[in-house]
Amino acid sequence: MTNVDDSWEPHLLDEDEFIREVQSFTFWFEAVEGYLGDRPYGHDPDLPEAALGEIERDQLVTILCNYCVGETAALEASSGLVRLAATNPSQIFMATQVADEARHVEVFRRRLEDLGVADVDGEIARRANPELSEFRRQLLEFVDAGQWELAVFAQNVLLETMEDTVFRYHATVADPVTAQVLDGVIADERRHLGFGENDLGRRLARYPMRRAELAEVRARLDPLILASFEATYRDLGLSRAEAPELGRSYLEAVERLGLAG
Amino acid sequence: MNDDLDTVTAPATATATDEPPRRTYELEETGFREVPKRWRRFYRIWQGEGDTLAPNEVICPVCKVVIRSRRELRPGDRVYCMPCMSRLVVVRNADGGLEAEVVY
Amino acid sequence: MVDFLSQYSIQRWLEMCPQGYLDGTVYGHDPGETEAPEILEVDSLREASIAVTVQLIAGERCALAASSGLINCAPDDASKTFLATQTLDEARHVEIFTQRLMDLGVKKENVNSTVADLANPHLVKFAETLLEKVSDGDFVAGVVGQNIILEGMAFSVFELLQASAAGNPKFAKTLAGTIADERRHVGFGENRIGSLIREHPEKKAEVQAMQAEMSYHMLATFTDMFSDAGQRMEEAKQLVADKEDNPLEGVTWHGADLMSATPDVMEAVLADTVLNEFRTRLDRIGIEYQSPKVPARA
Repeated sequence: MTNVDDSWEPHLLDEDEFIREVQSFTFWFEAVEGYLGDRPYGHDPDLPEAALGEIERDQLVTILCNYCVGETAALEASSGLVRLAATNPSQIFMATQVADEARHVEVFRRRLEDLGVADVDGEIARRANPELSEFRRQLLEFVDAGQWELAVFAQNVLLETMEDTVFRYHATVADPVTAQVLDGVIADERRHLGFGENDLGRRLARYPMRRAELAEVRARLDPLILASFEATYRDLGLSRAEAPELGRSYLEAVERLGLAG
Repeated sequence: MNDDLDTVTAPATATATDEPPRRTYELEETGFREVPKRWRRFYRIWQGEGDTLAPNEVICPVCKVVIRSRRELRPGDRVYCMPCMSRLVVVRNADGGLEAEVVY
Repeated sequence: MVDFLSQYSIQRWLEMCPQGYLDGTVYGHDPGETEAPEILEVDSLREASIAVTVQLIAGERCALAASSGLINCAPDDASKTFLATQTLDEARHVEIFTQRLMDLGVKKENVNSTVADLANPHLVKFAETLLEKVSDGDFVAGVVGQNIILEGMAFSVFELLQASAAGNPKFAKTLAGTIADERRHVGFGENRIGSLIREHPEKKAEVQAMQAEMSYHMLATFTDMFSDAGQRMEEAKQLVADKEDNPLEGVTWHGADLMSATPDVMEAVLADTVLNEFRTRLDRIGIEYQSPKVPARA
């Protein structure tokens, strides 16, 4: 850890120091303490529940069930990636992501219980979007095959960027409790999508020939993830024209990585 | 927007070039809580429409957080986005403003 | 079936660890604390501390790989959640022991080569035996290997090291945090796997064989580590004894006086303690303890 004084700023760290700092357990727990310390299960326990109509509640349950599917996929994938990480800092970072994803599953499941869902597992199974389930299957195939780059792209770039966009939009229109839960998740996602893009970016700069394979994976997975999140927008009551530009952040990321087109 | 948040304290030492000296800033807390306490004043949430960047600020293209420095930023400066772990370099965009590009 | 796991939620973990006993620590110890001066000043002691720390890193790397690898084959969400917290605990242990290696003077760029050079080959075999089960997606064998055998060993080794570190508050504090973590891990192992063993009695023979193999490699690691320790232990004791207020005076661990016990005695006490713990824990979950082969002395 670096000592700081009045003339110091993070931009003066050398690159190795920076990576070691931001990918450390210590950084992680001081960061999450900042935005979760007073929010057990992701929200202020004194925050009153808004009265939801039956349709609104039902749509929220469907959305949260699909968030659980996405977060469980990320939990299973990131845990498998711990062993595949090439450096100690990236291995430690991936372990922090495992805990983040498990927390997301936990807070979304808890929210479902708050909304009166008695059989959370059954409800998730009933309401899971088939495209998202297929995405999960393909992501775990990459992990099981030890394909770090493909798995990091699918999970930390594709899935996380899409989730980030959807969660941000949802947080602006959600009931106050759900919005607070989403705020904490969004703060976590920043680390995950940033790690994914930066790790892949460095690898692709070194091995540009890997772009072709990633582009092929992108072509295969894009429709699955786009379809599943478009379904979420529908559940949020938005028409296609009203929906924000769902893929813009993602397209910017793939362009920076040289995977556009 | 952010000039209200921080104090411009003094110009930095003039360089040998024609460039005017850099202003320096004493950074205040911004309410950003997503990094450890000692780093929080170096970041803030972009407020969207109506928000503007101060000369010591640039937006991270990866996670859209505003990155802040104690000194006025210039093209070629390196900055780090701790919330998303990106390493960036400051460049001048077509509009004449400053933006950050990711360095892999 | 999984009610007990509700106390192992991420929320509870956050309250217990980062917001609890780790609050205010830096790499597991109080800010500003340094290694004891004699360790940094006497080459042989520093080298011995490096060798011990390398074994801790090797063990924790194995635990990190195993706990993360088991998440995918966990049969329920509550177990996945617990293993996610364990993954992070193990990553923290890797981090703090790696930091200790650097505090002992190993350059950052030499950390991996130092671990590769000094990791005991038997400890590597111990890890490989466990990770093979994890790779096969065998949750029952993986949790027994990880949360009962590996964690049971770590628990006792950390306790011994903590007792021995009475004159080194930095390392003692670091170990205290890891011991607190290990308590949860062994608790999960026993509580969760007990019911699974009852559901899958056909797994017993395989798990028992794994326990015997891992125990053998553990004992062989202890033998190697203690066989060359005699002179260094005497040197360390002399330095401690010369202090005005000897922090090890009267300190015992499982009946062994840390000031007077020989390396052979300490090895025997450690081995007996760990194996007895295995026997007790395995018995509680319905696995018959297997006495391991006794490794040959060098």
